[in-house]
Amino acid sequence: MRTFELPDLGEGLPDAEVVRWLVKEGDLVALDQPMVEMETAKAVVEVPSPYKGVITRLCGQEGEVILVGAVLVEFDGESNSSSKTIEPEVKKTTETVVTSQATKPDSIANSDAQVFILPDLGEGLPDAEIVRWLVSEGDDLTLDQPMVEMETAKAVVEVPSPFTAKVAKLHGQAGDVIDVGAILVSFGSGTSVELPKIEQPKIEQAEVEPAKDKPADAATVVGAVQVGNQIVTESASAVIKALAKKLKVDLKLVIGTGSDGAISQADIKQAKKDGKLIGSKLPVSVSVPVNTLLNNNQQNNENPLDFKASPAVRAHAHRLNVALSVCAATGKKGTITKSDVDLAFKQPSSFTAPLLTVAPVLSKTGGLPTVQVSVEPQTIRGVRRAMAMGMAKSHASVVPTTLMEDADITTWPKQDSLARYVRALVFASKIEPALNCWFDGDKFERLVHPNVHVGIAIDSPDGLYVPVVHDADKKDATQVRARVQELRQKIESKGLKQEDQQGATITLSNFGSIAGRYGSPVVSPPQVAILGTGRFRYELKLTEKGIENRKMLPLSLTFDHRACTGGEAARFLASVIEDLQKTV
Amino acid sequence: MKANTVKTVTLIEAVNMAVSHEMGVDKEVVVFGEDVGINGGVFRATDGLQEKYGKERVIDTPLAEAMIAGIAIGMAAQGMKPVAEIQFMGFIFPAADHIISHCARMRNRTRGRLTLPMVIRAPFGGGIHAPENHSESTEAIFAHIPGLKVVIPSNPSRAYGLMLAAIRDPDPVIFLEPKRIYRIEKHEIEDNGEEYPLGVCFVDREGTDITLVSWGAMLHETKQAAEKLAKEGISAEVIDVATVSPLDIDTILESVEKTGRLCIVQEAPKAGALGSEIAAEVAEKCLMSLLAPIGRVSGYDIVIPYYRLEKQYMPKIDYIIEEAKRIVEYK
Repeated sequence: MRTFELPDLGEGLPDAEVVRWLVKEGDLVALDQPMVEMETAKAVVEVPSPYKGVITRLCGQEGEVILVGAVLVEFDGESNSSSKTIEPEVKKTTETVVTSQATKPDSIANSDAQVFILPDLGEGLPDAEIVRWLVSEGDDLTLDQPMVEMETAKAVVEVPSPFTAKVAKLHGQAGDVIDVGAILVSFGSGTSVELPKIEQPKIEQAEVEPAKDKPADAATVVGAVQVGNQIVTESASAVIKALAKKLKVDLKLVIGTGSDGAISQADIKQAKKDGKLIGSKLPVSVSVPVNTLLNNNQQNNENPLDFKASPAVRAHAHRLNVALSVCAATGKKGTITKSDVDLAFKQPSSFTAPLLTVAPVLSKTGGLPTVQVSVEPQTIRGVRRAMAMGMAKSHASVVPTTLMEDADITTWPKQDSLARYVRALVFASKIEPALNCWFDGDKFERLVHPNVHVGIAIDSPDGLYVPVVHDADKKDATQVRARVQELRQKIESKGLKQEDQQGATITLSNFGSIAGRYGSPVVSPPQVAILGTGRFRYELKLTEKGIENRKMLPLSLTFDHRACTGGEAARFLASVIEDLQKTV
Repeated sequence: MKANTVKTVTLIEAVNMAVSHEMGVDKEVVVFGEDVGINGGVFRATDGLQEKYGKERVIDTPLAEAMIAGIAIGMAAQGMKPVAEIQFMGFIFPAADHIISHCARMRNRTRGRLTLPMVIRAPFGGGIHAPENHSESTEAIFAHIPGLKVVIPSNPSRAYGLMLAAIRDPDPVIFLEPKRIYRIEKHEIEDNGEEYPLGVCFVDREGTDITLVSWGAMLHETKQAAEKLAKEGISAEVIDVATVSPLDIDTILESVEKTGRLCIVQEAPKAGALGSEIAAEVAEKCLMSLLAPIGRVSGYDIVIPYYRLEKQYMPKIDYIIEEAKRIVEYK
């Protein structure tokens, strides 16, 4: 004997009333043939037969209220293993069992063929319309792959496949209205599914869920709530840290009482009572930090977050290739301002080796010695500060070596000497490129420049400027002169632009225009050489013609011995002299 | 004392567990709303509660949201702890006058004489193919109202812990349940009555390159995006705001000061949303730590579409990854 028990008709109601029997005892009914009209609180629903067979008994009179789960119809034939109907097992009559969106639909299967019966799509409606098939007969489906879009009175619902199987037949076309309980899709190799053997509905359960738990009940309402059975672990440390934050408890002072020293909410609350608050001065006992606490103070110098600057200032620094680490922070709360970046940029160094910040340099001095003076110390700003930083940086890294020699410039016509010096640097750079070069002592990289950009040290009341004559190798004397003149005017009018000070590959310091014979000029990294021209003098020289009065120009070439050999530097200096001693 | 049972539950079951727990220990807790009793709630949030605690404490109401909110306020003013359900957040607006004009203001209006220890639960958000008016994310409307706490759990444990805290809180809490993730995953929860703190964010993942801030259902996508970003060498910190009002901006600021970058992920339309407030706070208080402009991955400024276009509307994992990369690579 097979039985049909009243399923939940889709509204979560505990019972339904028999309105009218559509079949009699002894009738042979076909699968899905309507058997009875049942009235729930909301609607009259036609209940189809789940089997093909002969009805042996109708359990209830018209007008009688039948509990969900009670036997409604008995059929002939063998009782199968579970006698379950199209609805999942119902244990309590008041329990609603509806798969609202067929994510875990009920299924009827036999060995070589399986069918999918349209479940209640979640609104207690008796049927639904096929909007669109998403699969075709013969397709291999995977579990949960959308098969069809069904439209109920309220929504379009995507119905997923309950099996991983091949589609044998699609029962209906777009536009067809399918009754709840009717076969919608047949699976498997079997082409005809006349009398499927009824099996226990397939309800996926999490493995840890005891089998006695009630079947998935995704509720009666509209829509399709995605169902997953994955068991996820809550982040305990996130909760503990959040609570500690709320109670202002210093986690470092909390002793965990759980296994492995795990901190519980109770530990945090106890710590609050004990006054272990953030900023409290309690001794640190056994510290059991939450494992993922980060120490941000251990970041290296190059972390941009070590420096406070607005995005605009950062972008500005990025464009100028100025590392924030070399910028002073004169803004509010130690913020680097745009002018700080501009100042840093005035050092003609943009090769980004890790650079010293101002702070350590100043802090090492411990401040100025305390003396009784009538004036306050001045904070060094602007160009002067840039000079201080640049020189300190040079001193900290460069290995300076200075070569000194004189050039005989007796035969010079009257001309702009600065332009001649520049020309000599260009000439020497072609002969010995190793000095027209940038060097990164940390990466051990050098960049030999094909062009010569000469930085010209220019003294001003504000401090030392080193503007650049770019592409000096492509300029003649007039152009060099014009450029230097332009730079001087810009300095005077304070109109020097960043690009005027950027990119020098070698530097010229004409200190001799004031005083000084030889000097030890300071190389400005990443450059590797600087030529100092001293004050010229007349000298009695013994030549093959006897004693002659010659005009001599003293030269001092400082080079970074990390980047250049002494031989390279000497050849360079010899080439400078060679060019300077040319008559024209 | 007998050990508490550990249950493997979904978010919706965790809500049920928390409400049930609190009803068990506090006689003042009552539940009411449309279909919450016999039916057990359209999503089963209150399943079995009427059976367990009786019709006196688990009450089916007519379809009248204004009345539901009004009853809750009256009960709470007299010392009860109502947990009222608005069946969908889209239906909350008839109740908005009570919630905004009375519920939120009662403590202030009575100069502290009356507080309203009440909870209004409502499923919200899209992604379940629901019809018109069922899918909005309008949390910002209530987050804007002083006097209301607005809480959104992102997983079963938080639903349990935060719901307990919401019921116990002396002031009104709008408890918004992201229905898309009602059943998407399970947690093993010990029914021990341990609440989670309100008013603080949860840092779900620690990272150094970018801070991803989200809440509710979108946290699901956000966490997955963070995992994928990690595979590409981008270390993302993930913050669950959880209590969207009052906003725990400090946790977000601390994180942004660490990472220098912020991407906010929300399902709600972009304009005037909670993400806007977070972005503004960070811009106000944390500008100097920003390495890139703040990014937002949002829904669109349109009525959330019907089923067929709903998927197009919802922010996706790929969007989050794309936006996060854009921010990280910003020069």
